[in-house]
Amino acid sequence: MNPEILNELYAGAGAALAPLLWLAAGLSAVLIADVFAGLKAVRPVLVPLTLGGAAWSAGALISDPAGAVLGGSFLADARTGAFALVFLASAALAWAQARRYYTEEAPFLGEHDALLLTAPMGMILMAGAQDLILFFVGLELLSIPLYCLSAFRRARTESVEAGLRYFVLGAFGVALFLMGAALLYTLTGSVSLEGLAAAKELLASPMGATGLALLLASLFFKAGVAPFHLWVPDVYQGAPTPIASLMATGTKAAAFAFLLRLVPALPAEAGVGLGLVAVVTMAIGNLGALGQTDLKRLFAWSGVAHAGTLLLVIAGAVAAGGTDHQEAVRNAAFSATLLYVAAYAFSAGGALGLVAWMEADGEEYRSLSRWQGLGTVRPGVAAGMTLFALSLGGIPATGGFLGKWLAFSTAVRAELVPLAVLGALTSVVALGYYLRIVVDLWMRPRPEDAAAPSAERPLAAFAAGFSAAMVLALGVAPGLLLGRLIG
Amino acid sequence: MVDLLFYVAALLSVLCALGVVISENPVQSVLMLLGSFLGIAVIYLLAGFQFLAAIQVLVYGGAIMVLFLFVVMLLNLGDPEVQADEPLFHGRGRVTGGLGVALAALAVLLTASRGTALAPVETYLWPEGGLDPLLGMAEAMFGRYVLPFEAASVLLLATAVGVMALAKRQRTKRAIAPAPLESKEAAA
Repeated sequence: MNPEILNELYAGAGAALAPLLWLAAGLSAVLIADVFAGLKAVRPVLVPLTLGGAAWSAGALISDPAGAVLGGSFLADARTGAFALVFLASAALAWAQARRYYTEEAPFLGEHDALLLTAPMGMILMAGAQDLILFFVGLELLSIPLYCLSAFRRARTESVEAGLRYFVLGAFGVALFLMGAALLYTLTGSVSLEGLAAAKELLASPMGATGLALLLASLFFKAGVAPFHLWVPDVYQGAPTPIASLMATGTKAAAFAFLLRLVPALPAEAGVGLGLVAVVTMAIGNLGALGQTDLKRLFAWSGVAHAGTLLLVIAGAVAAGGTDHQEAVRNAAFSATLLYVAAYAFSAGGALGLVAWMEADGEEYRSLSRWQGLGTVRPGVAAGMTLFALSLGGIPATGGFLGKWLAFSTAVRAELVPLAVLGALTSVVALGYYLRIVVDLWMRPRPEDAAAPSAERPLAAFAAGFSAAMVLALGVAPGLLLGRLIG
Repeated sequence: MVDLLFYVAALLSVLCALGVVISENPVQSVLMLLGSFLGIAVIYLLAGFQFLAAIQVLVYGGAIMVLFLFVVMLLNLGDPEVQADEPLFHGRGRVTGGLGVALAALAVLLTASRGTALAPVETYLWPEGGLDPLLGMAEAMFGRYVLPFEAASVLLLATAVGVMALAKRQRTKRAIAPAPLESKEAAA
């Protein structure tokens, strides 16, 4: 092979990979600055600088897509850019929440930040992957830092247990993926999504169906879709709150970004089955959340329900395959997924961020009873939590409402009306526990033994304010933010 | 002859892989893993990838295996009889795992018995430079698969950082504190 061929192969790769290069450079810089005491002054700015640079180059991909690069293995189009912005935002929120969160682990913040920068690299690779090998490396690049970060509070049994549980189950999920990919490769001779979509009749054989099912199972595991959701509440509860926030928002967004890419390879008959799984997931998540008194567990169960809603969108896109409105439904599915994950990233990220903030005043702020009457002593925090809970519940004028509306309308356009109706009904159940948070915050008296929370954390306050602004902006004027992507 | 060799190597690697998870003695597990790696190396060799086979033996069979043995030694797992009070495979786990493997095997057999033609051989990932092992691997590694290859290096870095963050826990306190005397006496 002569150098000209390589030149041709690498053409355009610089712009396409710019967000990844920013993150890789930032990762190295964080590690280097952590070693030399003389560089102490630059440590705090490195992560925001890296995330900002990566976001800027991801934004450049939206306005000026680089297309498929490196022999078509990575697709850096506007969709990859848009999802990358969501991943970077959830990483930035997690970083801001983590600043004053750790106490005895504070000397290890350098390692923490390095791992925090690796996870979005994996997410971006997952969103842009055009073949299963690249996707697999992306999945691992996302998972391994999260395993370590879940167990980051080494002195606490619950954190170590969360990390171990996530690691063991995650390794199992990854093994499912590899088994499925091996079956598909044996059958079709291809690991690229294009090749899989071209060999659709082969995929209908029992071996192909098993391969696809295993692939989906591992994605469902990462996204927390039933029946692979059992780890979610325990891991979110045990993991440090900023990491739980990153797992809830970023991982879910990345899994669904890849599911959107996988849609052309799935047979249209699978649509109804996926829709059923989606509705069951929504029901399980919402019913599971109803009885929770621990806020982190509550948001974990609600995250399961949100994964179900997102899966309903995918089911719609799959079910529309082969019909004459296939393209229209798939575009609608993309808009719905993007808006939904963006709104969810800021609502759930914001809510868990507030929990992390209040935890500085004592761990008991994880339980909902401690938040009773908080409106009287910390109106700002209480107002933020109210907005995030309403957005998660899908109340109009918030991003969550618009996301839900687009999601259910995609399912209706794909003629999955009964499933959409059932899904909407389970969302009504969800209002039960979201409104309970609001009632507790404003209409209950403050428990007498509870001291007023005193921790002032400007960065966490800024992150919460920014999330609140984004939730409102996505709900009121989504066109301003996503106009170029959503027609 | 080649066919026979393939089946022997494949059977060896599958049986050894089973042995890795079934064996209750960690050292035995590690040795079984070695057998599995060697079986796979033979399969690489039969497929014409001499370089990959050599790397498999050197890196996996040699270096990684030694690391595994070090870990087993450092962890000092002790008497397997004592450790085995909670078997790895519970009844339910055995049934579920067995069912899963059986289902996957059934799917493969069903597809084969129906005579579903696999994709034509050309579509498989043959390296463009033919079967010349080094050239083909280099082309794949620095061509279409350069991104997974480079990302894997970041992955290894992140793993190392994560392990350090979890394992080194005494940077703040008790960094140079002597070991408590009681434990030494107890050991003696």
